[in-house]
Amino acid sequence: MKRWDCLQAIAGEVGDALTLSAAACYLEWRVLRPSDGNFRIRTLGLGSSIALGLALCLPNRKIVVLDGDGALLMNLCALPTIARQSPRNLVHIVFDNERYEGSGGIPTATAAGTDIAAVARGAGFKHACTVRTVEDFKKEALAALERNELSIIVAKVEPGNAAVPPAEMDEVECKYRFVRHIERTENVKVIRTHLPTTYTKKRD
Amino acid sequence: MTQAIGPETIIEGLREAGIDLLATLPDINLYEVLSRVAKDPDFIHVPLCREEEGIGVCAGAYMAGKRAAMIVQNGGLLNSCNALASTALHFQIPMLLLVYYAGDIGDRTFATVGSVTEPVLRGLGIRYYVPRRLDEVKSTITRAQILAEDSRYPVAILLTRDILEA
Repeated sequence: MKRWDCLQAIAGEVGDALTLSAAACYLEWRVLRPSDGNFRIRTLGLGSSIALGLALCLPNRKIVVLDGDGALLMNLCALPTIARQSPRNLVHIVFDNERYEGSGGIPTATAAGTDIAAVARGAGFKHACTVRTVEDFKKEALAALERNELSIIVAKVEPGNAAVPPAEMDEVECKYRFVRHIERTENVKVIRTHLPTTYTKKRD
Repeated sequence: MTQAIGPETIIEGLREAGIDLLATLPDINLYEVLSRVAKDPDFIHVPLCREEEGIGVCAGAYMAGKRAAMIVQNGGLLNSCNALASTALHFQIPMLLLVYYAGDIGDRTFATVGSVTEPVLRGLGIRYYVPRRLDEVKSTITRAQILAEDSRYPVAILLTRDILEA
């Protein structure tokens, strides 16, 4: 099973969900699901924590984090923190290729048997599963998107990236487009600006 | 039992600064502050397992239109450096960092952690303030939030034991 095929299977199913992904996964996802609602993670493993902040503050919006095994293992303590809050609108998808793909392919702990779904269950996730076929992935991802309860899906995928073009913007512009998208669709203010002092300071 | 004017003042400052979400991790010297946070329905409270997560949580809250702060010990600030650099600074995301200043002058705790705290903040380019008098705590918090929003960067406030035990 390839990550690309999994992403393709859900690209038309996520609706207006805000998504977070990194590196090659982001580059593939933005081709399959072009949207300003796609945030590009920069810190390895921090995606699930950013997703938690979004999920708690936008409780009526679906938040989907597209994680990797190396990233998740880097920030493993995010799992109990997320489970403790159990936001109903958060779907955590982990593409587990058992290696640090972007760092040369050196094996991660999942190659030696670490079971991420079991770790998540132990951390307090009520809905955690591992899938090995695109059909099962799509079934579980759709169930998670409709469930309205915190869920994690571990997709065992083969190594490798799809041939995709580079991103058309840098990460800071990606953030601005992401927050403008949230402002438009959630009717909230993120970028707060003020008139210069010339306009506000009283003089004789 | 302390009178806990300091902790109460910190909470009032956070409220006046319009903080919506607090990501926290305990230290005995933060106990009075954090027990108030846990009971306060005005704040979305996210107890962390490791401080670096909190930078992500605060970043997510900011992008959702909320104001966010993290309350941790300075050892936790050190734990957060990668996320501070590659998320908060990289993406230009404002947040308040309320950091218990362990190892500050006269504080018999982690002198080594205390000695590297300010140099690390300077190295990250994060502006920080150390209120020494109780009557400057609240305004430091509200003004630091303004600075964070205007600069689109994290701003740190180092909380000494004198303030936390006041």
